[in-house]
Amino acid sequence: MTTEAEQLAHFEARIARGEKIEPGDWMPAEYRRQLIRMISQHAHSEVVGMLPEGQWITSAPSLRRKMVLIAKVQDEAGHGQYLYHAAETLGATREEMLEALLTGKAKYSSVFNYPTLTWADVAMIGWLVDGAAIKNQTMLAHASYGPYSRAMVRICAEETFHHKQGKEMIVHYATQGTSAQRAMAQDALNRWWWPSLMMFGPHDSASSNSEVLIRWGIKTKTNDELRQEFVDEMAEEFRAINLVIPDPALRYDAATGHWVHGPIDWDEFWRVVRGHGPCNAERLAARRQAHEDGLWVRQAMAGYAAQRVATAD
Amino acid sequence: MNDTQWPRFEVFKQDTPGKPHQAVGSVHAPDLEMALLMARDVFVRRPRCHSLWVTPADAIFSITQEELEAQPAWLTAPPAAAPAATETYLVFRKTSQRRAMTFVEHVGEVVAASPQAAVQQALTQFATAPTWVWWVVPAGAVAQSDAEDSASWFEPADDKTYRHQSAYGFVSPRRQRRGPADPAS
Repeated sequence: MTTEAEQLAHFEARIARGEKIEPGDWMPAEYRRQLIRMISQHAHSEVVGMLPEGQWITSAPSLRRKMVLIAKVQDEAGHGQYLYHAAETLGATREEMLEALLTGKAKYSSVFNYPTLTWADVAMIGWLVDGAAIKNQTMLAHASYGPYSRAMVRICAEETFHHKQGKEMIVHYATQGTSAQRAMAQDALNRWWWPSLMMFGPHDSASSNSEVLIRWGIKTKTNDELRQEFVDEMAEEFRAINLVIPDPALRYDAATGHWVHGPIDWDEFWRVVRGHGPCNAERLAARRQAHEDGLWVRQAMAGYAAQRVATAD
Repeated sequence: MNDTQWPRFEVFKQDTPGKPHQAVGSVHAPDLEMALLMARDVFVRRPRCHSLWVTPADAIFSITQEELEAQPAWLTAPPAAAPAATETYLVFRKTSQRRAMTFVEHVGEVVAASPQAAVQQALTQFATAPTWVWWVVPAGAVAQSDAEDSASWFEPADDKTYRHQSAYGFVSPRRQRRGPADPAS
């Protein structure tokens, strides 16, 4: 007879050895709960993340840019599928996860509740938003839960192109573009910088889940550590192309070797998370519409499959 | 029935002819045929793929090393008194703890009267590497992509070079200042 304490010790020892926990293996109920919460939110973010960029597919400035954007949005749909799969291995069903998204009960990344006003927003989302996502996802590729780790490895391999195509565009507009293109790039940076920093989540002091997630090897870095890596990298990048990060307090601290950013508006963050951002209602309405519009297709195909089984018998 | 997300199918992808089929994830579909098409769209947006297999998730019998250790009697249990007719099972296993984007991979076949018996047999027959997870699937429950469809299903991904970060070269501010202007931008 194994006690729960012994099972927990065995589980934590496995994680310490770098083994992956797989479906079927013993895991604490809290590990399962935290993973379902994180992975389903992550899946919803991929799905909702298609909307702000998808709006620009018909307005892409060239055929090549259009093909690239279609491929990127298609990838986000695929990434949602990989992640829903990982959550399903923990016992969550596709139906209940979609229900949670469509009823507004589920959370997804707050950054997708901001509007894409110009083409440069598509480029800036690729560089900043996907750049921030990749920081997080590269860490999660090391996660102790096998299915989550594998989804992240696959997503990271595909997502590097999202980041690169956005960076290519912004660098191009900022260094070789017309003054209008340059201004468009700066305007996009002005609007996307702070929402991108908020993507890493609340400060460590306000992040109730961090400790247990790190202890069980789901995350290996805190929100603030990842955010700092991102700020250090982006501060140098934007300086090199003479775009100005909209943070008057941003400064390099020679003592620590890090860039120090000004205060983040957490009131805004929580307002958007709680459903009151500029586009929350629009995003949910678009998802619901797509779900309702697809209902007859799902039913017709299920009906056709059932009929074929019946005639085969 | 008001709504459905369809049943779940697990997907196995073979990158090149010499490699084993590897579990890459799942899709939801109304039947095996649609599951194959969904698998192509979800898992073959980029090369390489030579062949796809799909099987209903509930056709898979899965057991981890930890589960086997927790019930050692299970390993030596005699087969059920009146064994049903035997059938062929595909055997998949996970032998590595390295970070990867694939899970169990195909290692061979066994003929057995039940999934449990198939695992027992696999433990002897494929004892070549420490194994963390076993999957056995009745061969009859697996649908395979048709070799004749291979060109139309898998080769279009080869031409979409813009799906790879390498298509964008080395992007640095300095390089951009020197480089030629891109008239398409």
